[in-house]
Amino acid sequence: MHRRRAGKDTVLSELLVVIPALDEEATVGDVVRAAREHIGGSVLVVDDGSVDETAAVALAAGATVVRHPFNLGVGAAVRSGLRYASEHGYTAVLQLDADGQHDPSDGRRLVERLHEDSADIVVGTRFGGNYRVRGLRRLGMRTLAKVVSTRLGTRLTDTTSGYRAFGKRAVDRLSRTYPSVYLSDTVEVLLMAGDWGFRVVEEPVHMHPRKGGRPSSGPALSTVNFLRLVLVIVLHDIRRPMSRRGGP
Amino acid sequence: MSRLELFVVVVAVVNVAVVLEFVRRRKLAEGFALLWIGVGLAGVALSLARPVFDAVARAVGVSYGPSLLFTLALLFLLFVCMSLSLHVSRLSSRTEILAEEVAFLRAAQEPTVDHR
Repeated sequence: MHRRRAGKDTVLSELLVVIPALDEEATVGDVVRAAREHIGGSVLVVDDGSVDETAAVALAAGATVVRHPFNLGVGAAVRSGLRYASEHGYTAVLQLDADGQHDPSDGRRLVERLHEDSADIVVGTRFGGNYRVRGLRRLGMRTLAKVVSTRLGTRLTDTTSGYRAFGKRAVDRLSRTYPSVYLSDTVEVLLMAGDWGFRVVEEPVHMHPRKGGRPSSGPALSTVNFLRLVLVIVLHDIRRPMSRRGGP
Repeated sequence: MSRLELFVVVVAVVNVAVVLEFVRRRKLAEGFALLWIGVGLAGVALSLARPVFDAVARAVGVSYGPSLLFTLALLFLLFVCMSLSLHVSRLSSRTEILAEEVAFLRAAQEPTVDHR
């Protein structure tokens, strides 16, 4: 097999691209092909209980597919991906959305930064390019960024981005403990990383307009999710850390 | 503060403490934690703000404050029961799906049909 280098130390055969997908048959095929072309490594699509042809399309595009028997949420899908990576000896994971909003050509940079910065997690910040948010959403994202940055002692601008690279230490540690509460997972995992003394850095990524599927939630649901997120952050300090097996 | 009020406050505070301890031990999922912390805080608030509550009761036309409280509490508990029933229903249908998945996996691994 012909191997190219993604970063200084990551041989591509050690990189797993994890794509959580729920009913994304319209876009997942293109995302898988683009990931194979621009990033390399193996591609794993975690089908989180889709009722459409997501799994078949992903398989046809050349991905390995893991299917949840019913919908468990993005966090659980990412956890399955990390666990697959950990159990199959991959030393780096790149998490990428299936809806086509993440540009796969940014992926390689994220993985390279794992090594350049000896980082455990690289967060792809959407504010580096064409991404704009307004009003309450903007205020919410800024507040989150400030709170998380202070706790981690690193400047992060986009804490809810789902475009991320995980190094070996993070893959192994999170393969059982990655949180699964919707939307909170992206933020809570950064707080966990802070507790463990992991190094988290960010790298600008470009966003494409959505090509298929539907946006994750409207304003009312976003507010509920935000409140739950605040609770997760507030409770984080008093809660016992999750056991290494996951769960209480 | 009357002895009765003191008793109610103590009960409400213990309630909040117990909820927080379950949250701390990760025995309560975030969604339920939010619900029960809310219940605990509402309990403390209501037991301290008895005069306010009586005023609200009179304003909505209920002559005896505590009966408004009982009515609201009862409705709330019905709501909680309903949502728990929904949760249990979903869990049991998921268990069925999981059992089917396991059955098929087992069948694929050790064929039960004997073709001799």
